[in-house]
Amino acid sequence: MNETTGETTIAKVPSTPDDPSLAILTGVDQFLGGGRSAEQVRHFCHGTTVGTNALLETKGAKTGLLVTQGFTGIYEVAEQARPHGSAIFDVQYKKPTPLVPASLMAEVVERVASDGSILTHLDETALRESLRGLRQRGIESLAVCLLFSFLEPGHEERVRDIIAEEIPGCEVSLSCEIVPQIREYHRLSTTVINAYLQPILARYIGRLGQRLAEVGIATPQKYIMQSNGGMSTFGATSRKGVATVLSGPAGGVTASVAVAKETGLGDLITFDMGGTSCDVALIKDGQPVIANRGKVEGRDISMPMMDINTVSAGGGTLAHVDDFGVLQVGPHSSGAVPGPACYGRGGTKPTITDCNLVLGYLPVGNFLGGKMRLDHAKAQRAVRDAIADPLGMDVSEAAEGIVRIIDVKMQEAIKAISTMRGHDLRDFMLLPFGGAGPIHAGRMVRELNLAGAVIPLHPGVFSAMGLVMSDVKHDYVRSLLRNLDGIAPTEISSVFDQMETAARRDLRAEGFDDDKVHIRPLLDLRYAGQGYELTLPVGAVSTSADLTVIKRNFDAEHEKTFGHCAEGETVEIVSFRIEATGFVPAIDRKKYKAEGTDIAQARLGTRTARFDGQDRDTTIYQREKLDVGHRFTGPAVVEQFDCTTVVLPGQSVLVDDYKNLILTETA
Amino acid sequence: MTRTPTSRAQTPSAVELEIIRASLSGIVQEMQNALFRTGFSTIIRESQDASCAILDADGDVIAQHVVLPLHLGAFPACTAAVLRNFGDDIRDGDAFLINDPYEGGSPHAPDMAVITPAFHAGKLVGFCASIAHKGDIGGPVPGSCSGQAREVFNEGLQLPAVRYQRGYAAYGDVDRIIRANSRTPDLVLGDIRGQLGCARLGERRLCDLLEKFGDAKCSLAFQELGRIAEARIRAVVAGWADGEFTAERFVDDDGVELNKPIRIHVKATKVGDRISFDFSGSADQTRGPANIRPPLLRAACAYAVISLIDPGIFISSGVLRAFDVQSRPGSVLDPVHPAPVNTYNPTVHAIVDVIFAAIGHLVPDRARADGCGSRSIIIGGRTTSSGKGYVQYEIVGGGAGALGTGDGASGTTVNQSNAKIAPIEIIESEFPTRVLAFELIKDSGGAGQFRGGLGLRRRYLNLADARFSIRSTKHVIPAAGMAGGGPGRTGDILMRPDSPDCEHLPSRYADYPLQKGMVFELQTPGGGGFGDPFDRDPELVLADVQNGRVSPECAAESYGVWLTDEGGTWVIDAPLTDKLRSQDRTDQTSTDKIRRQI
Repeated sequence: MNETTGETTIAKVPSTPDDPSLAILTGVDQFLGGGRSAEQVRHFCHGTTVGTNALLETKGAKTGLLVTQGFTGIYEVAEQARPHGSAIFDVQYKKPTPLVPASLMAEVVERVASDGSILTHLDETALRESLRGLRQRGIESLAVCLLFSFLEPGHEERVRDIIAEEIPGCEVSLSCEIVPQIREYHRLSTTVINAYLQPILARYIGRLGQRLAEVGIATPQKYIMQSNGGMSTFGATSRKGVATVLSGPAGGVTASVAVAKETGLGDLITFDMGGTSCDVALIKDGQPVIANRGKVEGRDISMPMMDINTVSAGGGTLAHVDDFGVLQVGPHSSGAVPGPACYGRGGTKPTITDCNLVLGYLPVGNFLGGKMRLDHAKAQRAVRDAIADPLGMDVSEAAEGIVRIIDVKMQEAIKAISTMRGHDLRDFMLLPFGGAGPIHAGRMVRELNLAGAVIPLHPGVFSAMGLVMSDVKHDYVRSLLRNLDGIAPTEISSVFDQMETAARRDLRAEGFDDDKVHIRPLLDLRYAGQGYELTLPVGAVSTSADLTVIKRNFDAEHEKTFGHCAEGETVEIVSFRIEATGFVPAIDRKKYKAEGTDIAQARLGTRTARFDGQDRDTTIYQREKLDVGHRFTGPAVVEQFDCTTVVLPGQSVLVDDYKNLILTETA
Repeated sequence: MTRTPTSRAQTPSAVELEIIRASLSGIVQEMQNALFRTGFSTIIRESQDASCAILDADGDVIAQHVVLPLHLGAFPACTAAVLRNFGDDIRDGDAFLINDPYEGGSPHAPDMAVITPAFHAGKLVGFCASIAHKGDIGGPVPGSCSGQAREVFNEGLQLPAVRYQRGYAAYGDVDRIIRANSRTPDLVLGDIRGQLGCARLGERRLCDLLEKFGDAKCSLAFQELGRIAEARIRAVVAGWADGEFTAERFVDDDGVELNKPIRIHVKATKVGDRISFDFSGSADQTRGPANIRPPLLRAACAYAVISLIDPGIFISSGVLRAFDVQSRPGSVLDPVHPAPVNTYNPTVHAIVDVIFAAIGHLVPDRARADGCGSRSIIIGGRTTSSGKGYVQYEIVGGGAGALGTGDGASGTTVNQSNAKIAPIEIIESEFPTRVLAFELIKDSGGAGQFRGGLGLRRRYLNLADARFSIRSTKHVIPAAGMAGGGPGRTGDILMRPDSPDCEHLPSRYADYPLQKGMVFELQTPGGGGFGDPFDRDPELVLADVQNGRVSPECAAESYGVWLTDEGGTWVIDAPLTDKLRSQDRTDQTSTDKIRRQI
């Protein structure tokens, strides 16, 4: 993206799984080919799944684990329970295999009490002996998670010094640094994942940095996307790779935050529907909702991450009728191969894409800008054979039914993150993207009673745009259980001050002056004795009146989120958090001026499409030819290179200054 | 089938049926999440001992988010009690409480059901309900679960169906009664508030659904979903060989008569698509609290049937209609009031295990050896600072039984039990206790071609005078192996371990006085093994030794695998292993002989 003009250039290259940095360089080469020089590159932003893939394929480093003596059970027992739902009935359910086998775990003689005092001093002699044993086994990385290290990190820090002496070159992840937060298993699991990925990511990032330097991209502003939707420097990511593991879908949310800023629409539901799944997230007042925990294949990660709800619903999702006459849509997907029946690559089972084609929503000849021709007959046959005939329906009726079912599943996913947490959807606009999002957007708006939808200019590559729109963001956490009515306001401000100092120091080292840094203090709060916390932003704390404000805000947030509160109950602080943002110079996306073209030039013609059981003459528009200020009403279909948008009868569309389509119900 | 034209118009299409099903799943999921997040006690929030359901106007379960499968039987029984007592006077804005196991179907008094009616267009259309375990509901011991209870009157406050709210406003009387009876009234009432919030949420969502499709169509859809669940199970049962299969299991004791194992016996009869479970051969009702009531028996059978047939099935009362259950009045599975019932879990595990033992062979993929059962420990006391009562309640798993296809999981919940373990750092921050050790117990998994999962050791130092209760199982009778696999190690509860006055408590024990400074240790049972241990791949035995799951001695004795230590690394001695594995296993001393030869 050109900082001055706001213009974006997009290049897409095939991935190179053996060494992903090669593909990146190919992309960079293409980009530099167009008369741009490497020296001009001021920001380099990168989203990577190197860590995610290493974790999914369990191809991380050979990792050891040090725990407090007597506590070897924490890791394998994990939460002890099986996941909710069918796993409890499933005798074949398996826990994820530990990333560190028990043979690479060692116990450390030491113990810190729940008030942070030391019960047993660190036995350094015994530790050295254990480390020599681990060294013989050839470990590359070590995770250290000792009880209550979030209160008293001294032992973990000393352990690191000793590791450096006994196993030189071994990477070390300390739980007191990765996530100094109460609940030993979640801290341990997060630290182990970090240790497991760290050598892999460090090598990868090192190689990428070197390759970039070779082509002359020398800027220190080189960043990698994090699960929290922010960027982190190459250096920081090499040390805290666990923070990238869930960064995949974060880009779309970050790009949505930028849309919220530019359009002034602060309350958005992001709706990213691709081939196999649909990711939804909520943005309130321009801020995405952050979750403090997540899972990857059953492995627990306690890291701030975009709170994204995923449901198995995509263009490739399959429909079938089971032995009992039940019409099942999903969760299985046709995948890239064979894909939907209409792709003509051998698929014969009906998918959502086939249904959308049967219903007249997708173009036969104008798919991917005409690069791929969809086979209408094959789609029809798939729906007829698998669904319509067995259920005694006609083909369009079946196709419409399948789409309604998938829509309901996606609606439930949206309710789970919105109405269920006390939000009123009438205040929210939907922001659909991904290849299939805009097809289903109009129906979501109608069924969920949303304010409308904003369909961005390039829904198909929207997620990638998040990369150039995000700031550098670091999260700091520190658990400290304190009753709100017993703590001195100065203790709160002093903890925050310490954390802020550390945050500013880190960001300064990455080149952010204090005026380019924003510090957002938050508290994890709960009613004393509750097992679950709410994270609330807090202002400056200096008097007891400030504590009363915090208490009142917590009661209100609890009431809003859960439908009740307990004003008489003591509120307890569990963790202090700082969200530190280093502002990357804001890049304004290009605003367009109306060229005054006639909307007739964007009209491709009409075709029959089905809405609510009726075939309707539907106007087809070419997205690329729509001009700022154009308005039209449904039923309509807007076709573009990477996407198709469906506008229901009774809905209207306006093209705004960014060439977003603003879809609303016609008043 | 002939239908009138109107009813045909109201019959849900395949599309509508699936939309209604997906919506119901969403509603119960939403209710469940709300409950977990809003509960006050660590039991709901950390251990997640709670579940939610939607029932129809007759009290049949339409949809349930499965967290605790046993509640599948409890929901209809509790709702039936509400209908029985208030049927002619249920109004919009009412809420009911019930925890009486005999009057309703709550497994025991701490499991409190909150039930609210849902009205649409002025008509009662169903109920939204949740059941959540309460930390303390009164009675002689903290936690209300006395292993020595002789009557339900020793098991805490028994509320028959009572009206808790009218017109969305609480009377307050019931709150006052609970407050006067519980040791932790704020937590109990806070949890009830959370349950109410979740039920009201369910009502709103259910009414939205009815609004969208109409009452008549929804009602038919709910019935159809139940019918399909039943049909799915019957179709699988029809594919099994007809026959009569029997098995028995024993529960350690009832907590009162300590040397008397309790027999649980089933005769499963399978003919065509029908299967029935006759438990008449089970023991007479017990003096101690090992009894369970028929709604729980039926739910335990449902758990086993779903596990054997289709773990992903849509859960509704239709599942319960797919099989028959008989029990004998006056038996441990059909006790007469006021027989005590509070420690129901060991008996329920025995029912699940006995069904797997009887018919598991019909489903080879899902056959498994017995697991560890479940247990909780409860420590009650008063904080020295405020004098406020506290109840530290922990649920601790153990080893799962091995499958015919792989080892059992270690340190896990099994069968219908599925509570999370309480984090040590949370326990120590909230209660006057210190955990001294938390580890897997070597050699506790039953030997087999596939090994049983390992049990756990959790050792505590008690930092203030308190009262201790335990509800465990398989401390006397181990988890049985299957197909030639060995049993798991039994569990134990030791007071002052490693000291001359070490004491073993029975697996079901109430109100032991814990003194400040006293150490106690809970050891949980391992799972049974599956298949002949001599058929286990020696490499897997080696890995178990390297990972500290199996000792080298046990490798030789139980698995016939001889390992030698070569400079800190274990390696398989193939010739000796062959020798061990070919010896006559009836000769107990042969391993010793080989050892002596070396």
